[in-house]
Amino acid sequence: MFKLNLKIALRNLWKNKGFSLINIGGLAIGLASCMVLLLYVAYEWSYDKQFSNHDKSYVVYQNMEASGKTFSWAWTPNVMAKEVQEKIPGVKYASHTTYPRKQLITAGDNKINSNAVFADQNFIKILDYKFIEGNAATVLKDVNTIILTSSFAKKLFGNENPIDKTVKFENGDVLKVEAVIEDVPANSSLIFECIMPWALFEKHQSWVKEGNWGNNMCLTLVQLKDNNFFTTANGLMHDIYKRNQKDNTSVALLHPLTKWHLYDDFQNGKSVGGKIDQLKIFLLLAFCILLIACVNFMNLSTARSERRAKEVGVRKAIGSTRKSLISQFFLESLLITFIATVLAFILIEVSLPYFNNLLDIKLTIDYHNGPFWLTFVGLMVITGFIAGSYPALYLSSFEPIKVLKGFTLKTDSSASVRKVLVVGQFVFAAGLIICTAVIYQQLNYVKNKPIGYDQSNLIQIAVVGRMNDAAKIELLKTQLIEAGATTNVTTFSTDFTEGGDNTTGIEWEGKNPNEKISFNHRNIGYDFTETIGTKMISGREFSAKFPNDTASVLLNEAAVSMMQLKNPIGKVITFWGDKKLTIVGIVKDFVVESVYQRVAPMIFRVNGKDDARVIIARLNPNQNISSSLAKIDDLVKQIEPNYPVNRKFVNESFEIKFKNEKLLGTLSNWFGGFAIFISCLGLLGLALFMAEQRKKEISIRKVLGASTANILTLLNKDFIKLVAIANIIAFPLAYVIINKWLSGFEYRVSISALPFVAAVGISVIIAVLTVSLQSVKVAKANPIDALKYE
Amino acid sequence: MIQLNNIEKYYANKGVKNYVLRLVTTTIKQGEFVSIMGPSGAGKSTLLNIIGMLEEPTYGTYEFLGENVTSLNERKRIELYRNHIGFVFQAYHLIDEMTVYENIEAPLLYKKIGSSERASRIADLLDRFNIVAKKDLFPNQLSGGQQQLVGIARALAAQPSIILADEPTGNLQSAQAEEIMELFKKLNQEDGITIIQVTHSEKNAQYGNRILHIADGVVKEDINVA
Repeated sequence: MFKLNLKIALRNLWKNKGFSLINIGGLAIGLASCMVLLLYVAYEWSYDKQFSNHDKSYVVYQNMEASGKTFSWAWTPNVMAKEVQEKIPGVKYASHTTYPRKQLITAGDNKINSNAVFADQNFIKILDYKFIEGNAATVLKDVNTIILTSSFAKKLFGNENPIDKTVKFENGDVLKVEAVIEDVPANSSLIFECIMPWALFEKHQSWVKEGNWGNNMCLTLVQLKDNNFFTTANGLMHDIYKRNQKDNTSVALLHPLTKWHLYDDFQNGKSVGGKIDQLKIFLLLAFCILLIACVNFMNLSTARSERRAKEVGVRKAIGSTRKSLISQFFLESLLITFIATVLAFILIEVSLPYFNNLLDIKLTIDYHNGPFWLTFVGLMVITGFIAGSYPALYLSSFEPIKVLKGFTLKTDSSASVRKVLVVGQFVFAAGLIICTAVIYQQLNYVKNKPIGYDQSNLIQIAVVGRMNDAAKIELLKTQLIEAGATTNVTTFSTDFTEGGDNTTGIEWEGKNPNEKISFNHRNIGYDFTETIGTKMISGREFSAKFPNDTASVLLNEAAVSMMQLKNPIGKVITFWGDKKLTIVGIVKDFVVESVYQRVAPMIFRVNGKDDARVIIARLNPNQNISSSLAKIDDLVKQIEPNYPVNRKFVNESFEIKFKNEKLLGTLSNWFGGFAIFISCLGLLGLALFMAEQRKKEISIRKVLGASTANILTLLNKDFIKLVAIANIIAFPLAYVIINKWLSGFEYRVSISALPFVAAVGISVIIAVLTVSLQSVKVAKANPIDALKYE
Repeated sequence: MIQLNNIEKYYANKGVKNYVLRLVTTTIKQGEFVSIMGPSGAGKSTLLNIIGMLEEPTYGTYEFLGENVTSLNERKRIELYRNHIGFVFQAYHLIDEMTVYENIEAPLLYKKIGSSERASRIADLLDRFNIVAKKDLFPNQLSGGQQQLVGIARALAAQPSIILADEPTGNLQSAQAEEIMELFKKLNQEDGITIIQVTHSEKNAQYGNRILHIADGVVKEDINVA
């Protein structure tokens, strides 16, 4: 029986090619979308979980209260690790590490600016990277050593064995390659290409040697012997700052390593989510798409019930039980799902590179991964059962006498079930249209929001090596302008589009002494406003004309309003306890950190001897950009030939700030599109069914004189009603969801009518087009074809 | 074999009972060939459906092979379909997706008959009805008469003791109809299969040995044909 049923199922598929195509295509797209989203979710989910004891590892977070808010970050003092290791019970390892930063590593003529971390030995015990060469137990002991990742080793040495070869660090120290580890997985919070000993870091930065509980400069990782120790350990962590430095009000806490990536949003010192929220949306989206694909299948199968009804009747009359019919229909749906799965698999393989490129991630199908296959097969079987459940139960319930006597489909419960299903599909589709539209509006709004300076043609050059010299920078500045490549040049103490130093060590007259206010703190060069294209609200900026500017300070508008200063110019503030600085100017607010948040208070001091980290230059608008850039590279090379030129456009790095929202937009756009497409297939199925059901009615109407247009209106009316109902249901749902999403942004669009109008418009147009595809055929058919069989 | 006692069937519509069958009482013995005749709407098909347990009477009792089957659960009814009753329909009702061979095989599969036994029975039937050459064709590739032959072959495959045929020749041309009726007669006489058919045609009724005339749901005449 099984064999025969399988054969019949295949024949059925072949006989109704159109139907099969819609059915399989819909399911395949649904399955593929679901799988890709699941792969993505799994990718994000497995962040930092590659390590053996990842569940016992923790990141030390610091909560600091300032400006009435609690700031939480994984920056800790260098002495934290030692203190934790010695004083906190249950701690197996505690390590301090720098965050990855660009460092120049040279092997022969190969000069590579690589992502490097400085770490102690405990670091590679907590995060047990896989060693390809070298001994994990002995590395990082000697000062002049380095561990490379395999791809970085290849970049430096080609195919030669790198062990015991030497590289140069920042054109100075000669380091021996001790070990090679596997590349750091792309889904790690710490991405680097080489590890160097902490001792080397201390050697280069002498201030690191001194323990200072007030300077949060590195990452502290902790591994517990057992998670039973967590509560006590975390409790003891709480006051660790206070115990070591009396007036330090910071609070430390252990944040699980596995939550570092996904739960990175802290409010009032507690983790309140983060990327996990977005991930949940994607997970929901994945299953909703699959569900609509299943609904589609149900719709299409039951729409063809008239054809199958006779078979059911006959089978029952020759001795089939309902159970065997149910299993037959399940077999058919599983067969279709199987074919769809194979197709989905191909779709995934074909689209993954594109998808990876789009989202800038590295998703791959791991063919040796058991859970992957389990999920894949599980998904297939579940889909087959969900999709097949309603048709199987519905079709097998036919009574033989009714279908054999001459089957007439009534507008019975099954038709209304199908209507509900289609409405459900379109609720989802309309909701997605609305959400996608609002996401795009928000993205556009934030992108077009004035950021306070002019990004275009602004470049940033990293200050490296010999450029760390005020005189050299001054020389370069003059040369750049003289060469005509740039119009204005200034310097800045951090990367221009990233966060950086902040401080609470500022006092002024009228300040509430108990309140801590956090200020961003930057050093800038001369000609700052002109270069970045902003302006002074009042006062003046730093200039070579005022040699005493080391005792001057500029504020941004946010700082002025935070400090509640009436006439700020000329006022004196106390900086870091002893420096008295006079306010000489107010700079217009501009965005360096999050585009979604209000600009934070910022104070500017003039760049000292060697604290400029980047040079910011505005390209000469009258010159060809590529030749300007070539000139710039050339001039920089002349001053520091030993480093590759690290230059980038400010607007390009600024774009990165939108990465998360762009990703959300792109994904919801694509998968929303798929969802709508699949819903359309479902609608097409319903239209086919209705047309078949009303064939006789339409023919009679035509005989009575109805025109094709009349008939089309008649047929479309019902569907437009369904879509309208779906929209009405979708509106409040989408409103609530998107409002919740928007509430996460300080700057946000107000929800307008436009997305809703768009949803109605798009869904109605799509519905009418889909339905007409089928109804035109019926409306134009010769009435006698339908009537003569009565 | 079949004992019907005061079978009544009516549909209640807004309190008004529309009778289809009234107080039908009759006995059909093993080996009879009964034709049920009467004008349209007389209740012929309903009576046949009740005999075939496709419908339940509203009132009265029905005994099949000495067992009361007036209202039977599905499992038992299917058991009877598998072992005792074969249906032949006016519209043939072959399964379009199955070949001739598979159509005949289907009831045997439901009856869980071993594959060698199946093959020999089907070969026998194909041979007997001269449709060996057609065994791999699909129903829509056959003429009406051929389809009905397959329909009968399918009904016979499970070796039933009774065949219920609802206007088996209603959709056929007269030559083909004659062929089918001859076949029924032969099955009845040579194999001793009980046959009950519903027919409009006086001529077809003559092939059997008993005619039940029904009008307005009542058995008007019960004639034995010589």
